[in-house]
Parts: sequence; C-alpha cells; structure tokens
Amino acid sequence: MPILQVENVSKQFGSFEALRDISLTVEKGEAVAIIGSSGSGKSTLLRCVCNLEKVSAGQILIDGEALVSTQSGVVRYPKEKEIRRICMKTAMVFQQFNLFPHLTCLENVTITPIKILKQNKAEALANAKRLLQLVGLEDKADSYPAMLSGGQQQRVAIARALAINPDIMLFDEPTSALDPELTAEVTAVIAKLAAQDITMLIVTHEMEFARSVADRILFFEDGQIIGQGSSADFFDNQQNERIKRFLSGFQK
Amino acid sequence: MNLSYIATLMPALMQGLAQTLKLFALTLIFSLPLGLVFTLGSISRVPPLRWVSRIYIWIFRGTPLMLQLFFIYYGLPFMGLTFDRFPAAVLTFVLNYAAYFAEIYRAGIQSIDRGQHEAAKTLGFTPWQTMRYIIIPQTVSRVIPPVCNETITLVKDTALVTAIGVGELLKAAQGAVNRDVNITAYAVAALIYLAITFVMTMAYERLERYFSRHQKKEG
Repeated sequence: MPILQVENVSKQFGSFEALRDISLTVEKGEAVAIIGSSGSGKSTLLRCVCNLEKVSAGQILIDGEALVSTQSGVVRYPKEKEIRRICMKTAMVFQQFNLFPHLTCLENVTITPIKILKQNKAEALANAKRLLQLVGLEDKADSYPAMLSGGQQQRVAIARALAINPDIMLFDEPTSALDPELTAEVTAVIAKLAAQDITMLIVTHEMEFARSVADRILFFEDGQIIGQGSSADFFDNQQNERIKRFLSGFQK
Repeated sequence: MNLSYIATLMPALMQGLAQTLKLFALTLIFSLPLGLVFTLGSISRVPPLRWVSRIYIWIFRGTPLMLQLFFIYYGLPFMGLTFDRFPAAVLTFVLNYAAYFAEIYRAGIQSIDRGQHEAAKTLGFTPWQTMRYIIIPQTVSRVIPPVCNETITLVKDTALVTAIGVGELLKAAQGAVNRDVNITAYAVAALIYLAITFVMTMAYERLERYFSRHQKKEG
C-alpha cells in the first residue's frame, strides 16, 4: 500500500485554481521530487497533504487512511482529533524553517515527543540527541535558533520533524531561503535520509539535488502534473518541449 | 522646610504608602491573569466569548478610570452591591487594568509569525497546546516592555482613589498639607512616587534582559 495517495485533488483560492485534479502516489521508501515554476501549485499540494490547507475536491489517503474524501461532490474531513492523528504520519519542513525561537535546539526537537506525544522524557531526550547527531548538530543542542545559521536552523527543523517518527517527510522548498553554501549542507542531510529509505516528498527548485536524491520527478504547471518519470529519464530523456525549456533554464 | 518636620510627617505618609503599595500589588496580582482571560476571549473562535470580551475591553478602556471608580463605589450600591472604599478601589483597578493588559497581550499574540502556528499544527499540536507551549511563551518577552510601562502608570493612577477617600499616599500628604498649611508633604510624596518608579524601571530592565536572552547571539 502506498504511504501517500492523492486522488483527483483540486484546490481553489477564490476564483484561482491552485490545484486541478491532481493524482499521485508515493510508495514506502520512495523519494519523490516536485519541480515546476513558482505558483504552479507545488507548495499548495504539500500544504493540503499536511492539512494546512483544505482541499476543494478529491481524496487524500495517508498510509491508507482518509485525511479527506469527496463523495458526490461533498468534501468530507474527519473530526479534528482524527485529522491530527492521521496528519502526524506526515512531518513538514518549511522554507522558512519555523523553529520555535524561545526553545533551544534540543528543546525544539523534544517538545513534540514530550508534550504532545507524552513519550518518556529520558527516551525522547536520547532520541533527540541521536537526531541532532544525524543532522550533524549535536554540539548546538543548547543553542537557541537565533544563534545558528540558516542552514543549521533548517537541519534542526529536519530533526524536529523526524522526532515525531513520520511515515513520510514533506519538504517545502527546504533550501530556497539559503545561499548556495548553506544549501549544500541541507541537501546533504536530506540525501542521507533518502539513503536510509525514509519516504519523502520534496518540493524544490534545486535541479541537481532533485536529480541525485529523488527516485521520481513530478513536473507541475498551472496546478497540474504535466510530466513525470524516473529521475534519470526525466532529466536525460525529456521529450516534453515545455519541460525541456524549463530545465534548460537551469543549465549553466 | 526642615528635617525634623519631615520626620513628623513620615508615619502618616508611610501608612499611606502601605495602602498605595497594597492597591498596586493586588491590582497586578488579579489583573495580569484576568487580562489573559479576556485576550483569549477576544481572539476566540466562539462568537459570544469574543463579543463579550471585546465589549468589556471597549468599555473599560473607553471610559475614565475615575468614572469607573465612582460608578463602582457610589453607583453599585443603588443596585444592591455595596463595597468598602478599599475593596471598591481594588475591584475597579483590577477590571480597568485587565482590559489594558488584554489589549497588550492580544497585540503580542497576534504579532507572532504565522509560521509558528503552522509548524506547531503540522507537529500535531492542538490550538490550545500551540497557545500554551509556543505562542504565549514567545508573547511574554514581547509584552514585557508595554506591560512594565503600564504598571508605572498604575503606580501613579493609585492616587486617583483619594477621590473616594481611600487613605493612600496622596491622601496622607494632602491631610498634612491642609493641617499644617505647608506643602512639604506633597514634595515628600512626589519623591516617594519617583523612588518607586525608579526602582521599578531598574527591575524591568533586568527583566527585559532576562526574557530576551534567546534573541541574543552568543557563542
């Protein structure tokens, strides 16, 4: 069973159609990258998957459970509590990191397991330290986010997301707020997760990163998926003229 | 003006000061948390809660404190509710300052970046857990300067209760001035108010430093 199934999802903001009848699946262990120009609906899709936006139509299943379904035109979400439970199988990494500035890095990672998931403190702490080590920041455990570089903050945000032990990680342009040098340290961490077969859906503008990390690429345009393929096929064997033009814009 | 005269004034002034400080402390103890209740009400998603809170804040910020004092002390007895002077003063001040604090807190809460709410939501926080663990703790450091400022105003506002005959510092000074036909007591009272606000200003600077510790770059 796929970890994520998106079926015929549409999303409208007023008269603007951000997503038009989108369908996609992400299998366990897969890394899928979504690329496409700004405003094509990539981020909106991620935000619908983690319930930051409500869909206008369609169905989203996470690990087989319906976050939302539509029957004869009526969109149905379960109760808030149920939505929270289902959405905790996903974890989001934001473009702007959104770390909690009043908490140390370690506390950023432990607050959810301890306060929300009611995990044993010692266990949560040990796990958080392991995660900070995974992202290479164990020495920053007691620093506050404001003391870190953007790249370091994003790595803490990745650790914080991993701490809820999600079935799928959602990355919403994780490097767009970073300069190239800092981008590299973040993409390296994400590549490391992909190598551990952590399921992920990544919205990105970094073509090289998408190519090296993702198993599959989806290309969004005007709220639709107009092309997709395995990473190698997509970049080296692209037939679609529109996508070719888009990709050539990134070649240096 | 001589020192031995000032010494004779001190017992009465100190008694007045004790009342002033008591009113000050009781007002803060009750209005600081009560303000939060009205803040949460005024941003609540439940319309009746929101409207009750907003109307309350509107009334208590929109009318003079002195009028509220008169209303509660002289007006409420007509509705069968009678208070002694001091409890009436405390009640009025608590209700009035809660409204001001509510607005300060609300501004603080609403100044927190939307991304904080979103991050908490994607981590499975309920709206209340988000408030408690993420939004309110960050609001504290932001509202400390305006709250401190408000409490300095409060020190001076306590003098208003002279109008309903509460024997606080200004009233004690006034008594001495009238009795001795000598304004020294006013000057001493002024110095006492200045001393209080000076100590408070010092304390608040330390408080602000403490609560903004995570904003600084260190190490």
